[in-house]
Amino acid sequence: MFNRGKKRMLAVVLSTALSGAAQAKTDLTMYYPVAVGGSLTHVVDSIIADFEKQNPDIDVKAIYAGNYNDARVKALAALQSGQPAQLSVMFSIDVHELMDLDAIIPFDEVATSDEDKTWLNSFYPALMKNGQVKGKTWGIPFQRSTIVMYYNKDMFRAAGLDADHAPKNWDELVDMGKKLTKKDASGQVTQWGAMIPSTGYPYWMFGALTKQNSQVLMNQAGTETYFDKPAVIEALSFWKSLGSEHKIMPEGTIQWGTLRQNFLEQKTAIMWHSTGNLTAVKKSANFDFGVAMLPANKELGSPTGGGNFYLFKKSTPEERQAALKLVKFMTAPEQAAKWSIETGYMGVSPAAYNTDALQRYVKTFPPAAIARDQLEYATAELATHQAGRVRKLLDDAIQATLTNQKSAEDALKHAQQQAERVLKRFE
Amino acid sequence: MKLNMPRHQQIYAWLLLFPALALLAAFTHIPMIKTLWRSFTSSGMQNNTGFTLDNYRYLLEDDVFWQVLSNSLWYAAVTVPVSMILALAMALWVNGKIRGRSALRLAYFTPTILPMITVANIWLFFYTPEIGLFNNILGWFGHSGYNWLGDPDLSLFSLMLMTIWKEAGFFMIFYLAALQGISRDFYQAAAIEGSSRWTTLRRITLPLLMPTTLFVLINAFLNAFKLVDHLFILTKGGPNNATNLLLYYIYENAFSFFDAAYASVLTVVLLSILVVLAVFQFGVIERRVHYR
Amino acid sequence: MSFLNIQGLSKQWADTRVVEDINFEICEGEFIALLGPSGCGKSTTLKMIAGLETPTAGNVILNGQNITNRTPGQRQLSMVFQSYALFPHLSVKENIVFGLKARKVPVNERNKRLRHAVELVNLGDQINKKPSELSGGQCQRVALARAIVSQAPLCLMDEPLSNLDTKLRNEMRTEIRALQKQLGLTVLYVTHDQVEAMSMADRIILLNAGRIEQMGSPQALYNEPASSFVARFIGHPPMSLMTRDKHLIGIRPEHITLCKSGYSEGIATHNPNKNPNNNASVIHCDYHGADTLISVDFQGSALMLSLQGHHLFQAGHPLAITWESQHEHYFSAKTGLRTANL
Repeated sequence: MFNRGKKRMLAVVLSTALSGAAQAKTDLTMYYPVAVGGSLTHVVDSIIADFEKQNPDIDVKAIYAGNYNDARVKALAALQSGQPAQLSVMFSIDVHELMDLDAIIPFDEVATSDEDKTWLNSFYPALMKNGQVKGKTWGIPFQRSTIVMYYNKDMFRAAGLDADHAPKNWDELVDMGKKLTKKDASGQVTQWGAMIPSTGYPYWMFGALTKQNSQVLMNQAGTETYFDKPAVIEALSFWKSLGSEHKIMPEGTIQWGTLRQNFLEQKTAIMWHSTGNLTAVKKSANFDFGVAMLPANKELGSPTGGGNFYLFKKSTPEERQAALKLVKFMTAPEQAAKWSIETGYMGVSPAAYNTDALQRYVKTFPPAAIARDQLEYATAELATHQAGRVRKLLDDAIQATLTNQKSAEDALKHAQQQAERVLKRFE
Repeated sequence: MKLNMPRHQQIYAWLLLFPALALLAAFTHIPMIKTLWRSFTSSGMQNNTGFTLDNYRYLLEDDVFWQVLSNSLWYAAVTVPVSMILALAMALWVNGKIRGRSALRLAYFTPTILPMITVANIWLFFYTPEIGLFNNILGWFGHSGYNWLGDPDLSLFSLMLMTIWKEAGFFMIFYLAALQGISRDFYQAAAIEGSSRWTTLRRITLPLLMPTTLFVLINAFLNAFKLVDHLFILTKGGPNNATNLLLYYIYENAFSFFDAAYASVLTVVLLSILVVLAVFQFGVIERRVHYR
Repeated sequence: MSFLNIQGLSKQWADTRVVEDINFEICEGEFIALLGPSGCGKSTTLKMIAGLETPTAGNVILNGQNITNRTPGQRQLSMVFQSYALFPHLSVKENIVFGLKARKVPVNERNKRLRHAVELVNLGDQINKKPSELSGGQCQRVALARAIVSQAPLCLMDEPLSNLDTKLRNEMRTEIRALQKQLGLTVLYVTHDQVEAMSMADRIILLNAGRIEQMGSPQALYNEPASSFVARFIGHPPMSLMTRDKHLIGIRPEHITLCKSGYSEGIATHNPNKNPNNNASVIHCDYHGADTLISVDFQGSALMLSLQGHHLFQAGHPLAITWESQHEHYFSAKTGLRTANL
């Protein structure tokens, strides 16, 4: 009896060992960026740990790789040098260039089951815009944001404005901005009405203004740009007028990197910034602040931004399946809700906002839902072939206009010309 | 000079030199030649697309390149002499018999030991118009201040200012060491000969510091072209390329625009500038330097 | 009338008194050696006169004018350094005329003085070289030429020959002395080498621990040392000293002789044992070529005598020595000062 039991145990152990050897562990390497300040790496680590617990046959190495640029450079360098990387989080707007480099595969090739197809359709359509090219899905939204308007409710009250009524359109922005701009006895401005950052990612902020003026900046294929359309020129002229004509914003460029500090030190009543800053502002603000959708002109609007998951081509079918499993896990409603609460990035699917955790959080902190509500009006971020160069052309045009070196029309026409030259071979 | 070494000693010498030569070749010379080769034979991220001058043709047509080149030259032409003169002045000052000079030396040296990125992060807040230190100081005098980094007429100057602040302390250390190496007898002899302070500085101190000056000059020029860390934090080359420098532009092309071919061309340009500078410095100035 | 007058010159570093109340006068055209062991304050004194150190007290009067508070350049003096202090980046010519250029002497005058000085120190074909291409002796000549062209009436020299080898030093000694006489220079010459001082100087000022020990001609210092310190310092080999009661008795080695065939008249007074042949025993012999230096134990005191020719005795070898009493010097054992002969 005793003997038989021993034998059986041995058999069990042996068979387990054999089956373990037969289906060896799948190793996955993933690079990911963090673009806003804060220790977000431990959040990623804990999600990965949960995943490995549920999937003991998959081993994930998640490598933090700096900002979006760094992450792209490191992932591509690793691939070129023959080191394995099966998936990565990279800039959503890198899609065209990653395709041009033949580095990625569409999710449709891997996600073939009906369940998978349902999953592919579970995200907010606005977040899918940057990831879908030529009818296929190349990027799955993960750390995604939009631009929202942060405003100082104390200042609104002090200026005799309704603290629960943020500017709803451009005219209101100018009118309220004028009331919110304060000067001292010598005529120096001590408090600005509004600030829109124009370094770092000027094209992104500008995408909001053009969308509000009912004009997108490029086609979905990323082969054409519309920088010289009248609505675009009008949008840039409006941006410039905030400083030069209405005097509610400093002239010249405004630093992306120090804007949050300006807002926290109450030097400006309104700032436009990424939702990724929400948690940080919430932690540091010692005044009453609100978050609202960006104001409309012809319509409401903001570009989306942030990072998507991509699958790399250099991988085995098993690795691809494992990678898909990981992506599905990390974008599942519970994980997305956790990620959103910890960072301020948005929940990527409606299901995420239906989780208990996020519903509770939104109830105690309503601004967390603004980004989601604005998604309805969101458009894709500027993404083309040769995206870096094209983006820079637009950045330069915006800065040249804001710093008074060129008129909006001249600057944008020049940028359009150059962009057409760059994009010619992709038509 | 001709060395007449026995054969076995020559072999020995080459064996000793070999590790350093191998490393230099692997990490410096071969990549340099590869870059040159690439600049003629690739396009975008694709290598070996056949011999072409397209990349160089694009260089000539590229307005941004010409602006970047002029920025870089201005940047070097201003930061190098100014930081060197400041370094010398500070060294002469802390070399004198004044109270608390070790504290002063430390104060001057501090910027040097901070990483460029840290310095840039600090100065970003100095420069910020509304909450920054500089505009607050100007505010006390009733001045409305400047948009230091946001105004294209001012932004390159702002970068220079920070660079000078960072570099001067570093170069001061070299000058200070050199000054302490000059025998007091020289100054006493000059004093007895009725030499004024200015004459002593011009005819004795400065010539005796020439080897140091040459060394500092080379380093300062190399740094002016090599150090772009602060651009990532402060301006990213903006507004509208007003502060874009050659090495940063190379980075942008290679890693933001995925245009390795054009980055190679720009690298060749940068290398040529550095080679010309080195030849000029070692060839022309060296002859006028007295080494003790 | 005195040319240089030093009055109560003192220098104090924190609690250390380096120079204490020094007074002396120099006449025009004199060659004065400032002699003393290292650390006696001679260089500090010279630097105070040059204006390179500020005195704690006292005055320096040159040619009737109080120059104590003037800068070195205003004092109208020249100086030759031990290190030569030649500017390494300037040619010989530029080194020599450096001061003339600084003082804006017209070109013609400058060239005239340069030619003259170069001729005097015999540097004719070297004037376009750099100091690093010259020998030590040539460097010293350049330093001298630099002092000469300034035409300053007072020339200070700070151990100018101590970096040269013995042979060169002897040559330069003669040359400097000749130059001084030819140009009528007044020279204040700091040295720790008594041979230099004795052979060159008109007068010697012997310093000890920041004070003047004795001042006078070389013969005076040699023949009548004012103190036991001077007695020990001047003369090579130095005077031997024996303690007798409250006195120190000094006798110079060259004045001690051996008794001829074991006999001498003087011996009885110094040898109570009345053993004329053996009153001393040899400790050590040093053969110098022309003579041999022998140190002996004489009644418990070590004496030094020098004998012509080659004499190598074993240690303990008995000797009979003697001297004439007129060669004895007497000093107070307490103060070290010279007293009258007994």
